[in-house]
Amino acid sequence: MNPDRDAAGGAILGHALLPVADETDARATARALSPYDPDHVTAMHVVEKGEGVPDKTPVEQSEAVAQSAYAAVREVFPEADTHTAYRRDVVEAIQEAAEAVEASAIVFQPRGGSRLIQFLSGDTTIKLVTETEQPVIALPRETEET
Amino acid sequence: MSEEELAKDLGPLAALTIGVGTMIGAGIFVLPGDAISTAGSLAVLSFVVGGAIALLTALSASELGTAMPRSGGAYYYVNHALGPLLGSIAGWANWLGLAFASAFYMVGFGQYIGRIVGVAGTVGLGPVELNAVSLIALAGGAFFVGVNYVGAKETGNLQNVIVIVLVAILTVFTLIGGFQADVSNLPRNEGITPMLTATGFVFVSYLGFVQITSVAEEIKDPGKNLPRAVIGSVVLVTGIYALVLFVMSATVEPGFIASMGDNQIAVVQVAERLLGPVGAVAMLFGGLLATASSANASILASSRINFAMGRDRVISPDLNVIHPRFATPYRSIGITGGLMLTFIVGVDLVGGNAVTTLSGIASFLHLIIYGLLNVSLIVMRVADPPDYDPDFRVPLSPLTPVLGAITSFALIYYIEPMVTAFGAAIVTWAVVWYAGYARERSLTTGVLTKYLREPRLADGPVEDMPATDGGDYRILVPLANPEHETELITLASAIARQRNGTVVVTHIVTVPDQTSLEYGAEHIEDLDAESESLLQSAREDADTYGVPVETHTIVSHESFEEIFDAAETHDADLIVMGWGPDSHGAPGRIEGTFDEIAQDVPCDVLVLRDRGFDPEHVLVPTAGGPDSELSAGTAALLRAEYDSEVTLLHVADDREEGESFLETWAAEHDLADTTLRVETGDVETAIETAARDASLVIVGATERGLLERLVGGSVVIDIAEDVDCSVLMAERQRDRSLWQRLFGRD
Repeated sequence: MNPDRDAAGGAILGHALLPVADETDARATARALSPYDPDHVTAMHVVEKGEGVPDKTPVEQSEAVAQSAYAAVREVFPEADTHTAYRRDVVEAIQEAAEAVEASAIVFQPRGGSRLIQFLSGDTTIKLVTETEQPVIALPRETEET
Repeated sequence: MSEEELAKDLGPLAALTIGVGTMIGAGIFVLPGDAISTAGSLAVLSFVVGGAIALLTALSASELGTAMPRSGGAYYYVNHALGPLLGSIAGWANWLGLAFASAFYMVGFGQYIGRIVGVAGTVGLGPVELNAVSLIALAGGAFFVGVNYVGAKETGNLQNVIVIVLVAILTVFTLIGGFQADVSNLPRNEGITPMLTATGFVFVSYLGFVQITSVAEEIKDPGKNLPRAVIGSVVLVTGIYALVLFVMSATVEPGFIASMGDNQIAVVQVAERLLGPVGAVAMLFGGLLATASSANASILASSRINFAMGRDRVISPDLNVIHPRFATPYRSIGITGGLMLTFIVGVDLVGGNAVTTLSGIASFLHLIIYGLLNVSLIVMRVADPPDYDPDFRVPLSPLTPVLGAITSFALIYYIEPMVTAFGAAIVTWAVVWYAGYARERSLTTGVLTKYLREPRLADGPVEDMPATDGGDYRILVPLANPEHETELITLASAIARQRNGTVVVTHIVTVPDQTSLEYGAEHIEDLDAESESLLQSAREDADTYGVPVETHTIVSHESFEEIFDAAETHDADLIVMGWGPDSHGAPGRIEGTFDEIAQDVPCDVLVLRDRGFDPEHVLVPTAGGPDSELSAGTAALLRAEYDSEVTLLHVADDREEGESFLETWAAEHDLADTTLRVETGDVETAIETAARDASLVIVGATERGLLERLVGGSVVIDIAEDVDCSVLMAERQRDRSLWQRLFGRD
């Protein structure tokens, strides 16, 4: 933790909460964030739970995905904290985490994709930016990535 | 709440629903007609016999599930207990069994849709002619595969609603039918053999309960809820099936079902007779829901089997890659879906009764698994490894599992010969697969193999160090650098001798990130010619100590991660590994790897900074804490093995307080009669001074993250680098007391 964080109080990147999906997404997000030099970073992963029905993937596998995503974030921000949430609703989980770790902003990289893909995977971008109390920062996507 | 608790979100009712929802599907809505035509009045009995066999297996599955709440269910238990050959058979049987069952559910679904929209006959598609029912089944199957492929969460809660609706429909049917039942209506008793033949193909109606165990890690309080859900779901559906079958047989005149048209559905016809059009509509609706929910649950369950098989490298873990957007194991679901659709087309082209053929194959494959599951339980009970601690125990063991195994295998005899032959071909394929693929790659050794190999040492452990259970303390020795092989094996063997344990030597071959692991595995000899000779000399070294030894080679990109994975797959209780500035990964790369790993040590770890292994004079610096318990335990073992002279060192601010602390600590850890040394001043200097008289320093990590600090720099690491003798660094796994495990007492 950065002891100067309180001093940096108002800085929007005082403590960035970085929700990441998998290793590739984590690496891309962390790299996109690094030029803005945040004071402190907490990487988070939401293990999507069924909450009453079996999950899409075994918990063991989801947790392994979370660990590799955190490792990818730490390639860029070695000091990053991590936070794993177990929720059915990804956006709610991110909001709760932002409060729990007292993040100054939620930083993510919209994952694009066609409308169909966004619809099928449940478009979290809109929910995240419209339903959250913290500032939400959308990072630009690298152009060579499609 | 701990993370583990957060991950558990299935309550008792949800767990029961998984079982009931998978089972109550097609079995009762599709098969009663065929069952009554085959077995006559004994059709009720064929469902009851099927339920009884399932119940015997359900008891075994409950015990194994509470002992090993791991993803993968039946496959996992068989592979764990009986090893990768039978594990491959169970895995393939479980996977393909679910694909066949899904195909069967979808054909049932097709019949229901066909009946509702009123289509029948065949449709020509180019050169082939497909049944209209098959086409609907294909479309339905593709839809449910798609739903699982994108992982639509919205389907989730539907399952609970569906199960309640189904139970309600069948209850009303049974109640109203019960009043009109007349025993004189019962069809002719066809005899025992046809009854068992019917049991053979209706057994597909009892596949759901094992699915509960495959999500065991998600169930709240699994020790209590898992057995209740597994056993409860079997008892519940058996009761429902028996009542429904009785009503169907006893409310309509004999011959009614046999004289139905081909595209009629027995349950629907009987419901129409009993309840009028409303009954028919309710049954049609129920049949659709039931077949759909069974298929949906089975497709998801099969991806769990794939995951567990990939985890053990019985199949390629690439199959389990998670979709970046949908977060689903899309390849596994896609392949299972493809198989299911192929089976639907295939069975149509082959001809005959598509429903009983598909259900027969699914039943056959599951009977194999259930038989093996019961055998696994017997093996686990006999071998009784120390980590085997089920919350639920099968009553009347071994009678119950023996009976379960015999009845499961025996029922196969009554399945139609053609179906049996096809099922046997799948089993043969699994054996070929094992020989050609899994044998070399599989990471697991069955409990059975370990148990049979385990030597019963005559010169057992010294009296005051009773092993908790002979031979099951497993010590993993990852080797990367041949230079330190002898020292590490010597140390591990000494501990193994004292603990009556097994040494598992793993050679880690690191390949560059660009090289695929599969390529690496196939070219192991080119990549590292030393592998064999290294493992060979390790084996010889261990043999001189007379301890059992296993050897494995792992090809990996990141050796630390692989070590911990290997520790988990080999059920290691202790890792003994070397560390130097350039071991386990290139210098410069090490940090990233460490960071990731250091958080979660899967078992106790001893890290040797090797400068020659000489246990003559052991120095144990301690400040208390869990990690120094491991140092103390190791020192005690070395003393028992080598008669080492042990010195305990404590650095305190106040000499008197320090002395009383150290005396208590020494007494607590069976090291009372050793030299006690208390120093004041700088910790590092004090330890380094004391180390001059020692041949080996054993130091606890004192706080979490020893491995992290191997790189990050810390007192422990500075000591390890500055002293002249070998240093053994101890880090304990957190969740269980090492003291308990190492010495089997509190």
